[in-house]
Amino acid sequence: MNKILTAGLIITLLMMVAAFFGQFVAPHGLSEHVEVDYQIDENGDSVLLAPPYPPSASNPFGTDKYGYDLMAKLIAGGKYTIIATISVAVVRIVIGGAIGLLLGYLSKSKPSRADRLPIWNALNGIPTLIIVWMIMIGISMNPEASPFKLALILSVVAALVGIPTVASTVKEKTIVLRDKQFVLSSKSIGASHWTIIRRHLIPHLQESFLILFVQEIVLILGLFGQLAIFNIFVGGTLVYNNPWPEPPEYVSRTNEWSGLIGQALSNLVNHQWLLFIPLLVYTVFILGFHMISLGLESMFKRRFSKFSHI
Amino acid sequence: MIKAAQYTSIFVGILLFILVFAMVPAVLQPSPMDGSLQFYWWEGLSRLGSYFDGLANGQSFLYLAGKTEHSFMEQIGSSFAVTFSYVIIGASIGMTIGMLLGVYFAVTRARWLKSLLELLGVLPDFVIVLLLQFLIVIIADETGLVVFQIASFSTDDPAVALPLISSVIIPAIYMIRNVALHMSQALTEDYISFAKARGLGKRYIIFYHALPNVLPFVKADLHKFMGILFGNLFIFEYLYHLNGVTLLVFSNAYAFEGYQYNLVVNGIFTLLLLYAIVFTLLRALIFGWEKVFTR
Repeated sequence: MNKILTAGLIITLLMMVAAFFGQFVAPHGLSEHVEVDYQIDENGDSVLLAPPYPPSASNPFGTDKYGYDLMAKLIAGGKYTIIATISVAVVRIVIGGAIGLLLGYLSKSKPSRADRLPIWNALNGIPTLIIVWMIMIGISMNPEASPFKLALILSVVAALVGIPTVASTVKEKTIVLRDKQFVLSSKSIGASHWTIIRRHLIPHLQESFLILFVQEIVLILGLFGQLAIFNIFVGGTLVYNNPWPEPPEYVSRTNEWSGLIGQALSNLVNHQWLLFIPLLVYTVFILGFHMISLGLESMFKRRFSKFSHI
Repeated sequence: MIKAAQYTSIFVGILLFILVFAMVPAVLQPSPMDGSLQFYWWEGLSRLGSYFDGLANGQSFLYLAGKTEHSFMEQIGSSFAVTFSYVIIGASIGMTIGMLLGVYFAVTRARWLKSLLELLGVLPDFVIVLLLQFLIVIIADETGLVVFQIASFSTDDPAVALPLISSVIIPAIYMIRNVALHMSQALTEDYISFAKARGLGKRYIIFYHALPNVLPFVKADLHKFMGILFGNLFIFEYLYHLNGVTLLVFSNAYAFEGYQYNLVVNGIFTLLLLYAIVFTLLRALIFGWEKVFTR
């Protein structure tokens, strides 16, 4: 355990605990909302106080423009963010890893040289954002389906688009391992394919799998955020059409973190906390995972790596 | 001959892929009764059919923005110019800066610089854009001085500086990380210690021994670099309200009469053309680098 790994683990675990158990200690629930209020100052003038309220003692993160507490929304939405990203990452790693392992072990190909340009490489040029956008845009706006079901559909799509990259990464690593001498020697004493995979390949790859898993979480959070910029929120989007020329208003149904960022994009200049606080929470969550991945890398590197001659 | 056939089949394959792929929002729709997912295959095929029918009489090149009908050919010119200039600048400058700084990062001992770069690299592109905009707003709040415009509010007064900065730094960050990674791997190889033993200078070893062995990796990763460049394009055209191709296509994809298959297909074809141009340019750039640094 090094410092950066510990710090990353503490950050992410704290945020998870806050998202799952925060509702028991938070000052406000998701259903309470602050009413429009009059206040009479010392001169006797009455001042109209209307939400959104900026962060204050009673609402530490402020409220949105309907008077709902932002902290309660973050706590409610965090469950979707955390469960969706982690389960998508698990699916990507398990399925993509299995496919990559088998492809790498069974294929006849040599480790690919860097200057080879297979046509599959060009698929990297299509941003995943567009693929997911195309699939989700038709079903994401004002849906009849429940938020859970829609979050599930988005997660499946997000998992599917990520599997090929994970598979090809694992395949490359497996091909390198497959040609090592210990694999050859266990083959020569009659070990079966399954034994070689289980006893030699998987133990050598488990560290890569772990790092890949954490990196995938970061990528998935990024994807959800990009989708939220285009108003596709995890769990569906409610669209309120305003009279022309006001643009329609997009609201996340689940208060998921990236959704809270996406729906507050117009708050860049006024009521900035509505954009800034969800963005901060989301960014800190990403950085937490990034620190875990850095920590793991340096922990494993110390064991195996070669050093620069310069 | 075989190569020509291969390229033709790839080209046709890509065209078909786009035609089918753009159908997805028409095919995949929630059922109006209970919101369960339904596949309307005929809907998609009929869109495709009417697109081909419309090619002859020009119907396929009309689209709606709200309720107004526009001609795609008339509108695309200015959008293409906007997107083209940002992509070309971002790609070429981003790659050059990325390559030079990547070499520097591989040999520097300043650890905080590396961790700063890692930090920037891990943040999604839209976070960087939002943070840049925030910075401008905060500076404006504190000093009353609007350094740059945070977005284009009208066509006469477009935001230039901020989009330009983000179109360069986001690809550059990826490039720096990539080059630095492969560079530091190349520096562990035996031929480097051999070159060092022969008494060659540090700078000479880095540029004439290590860098030529890094360039193939850069070349192989070019599609991924392009993917980041184009994904970034969608984000920053949207966040800065730049009237580029992606904004034209994706803000009008759903108009008054619902999903516009024609517009999306035409738009993606335009982006594909752009992709081909920029890809060729970057290959030429790398070719130039190779000519300079390979003896």
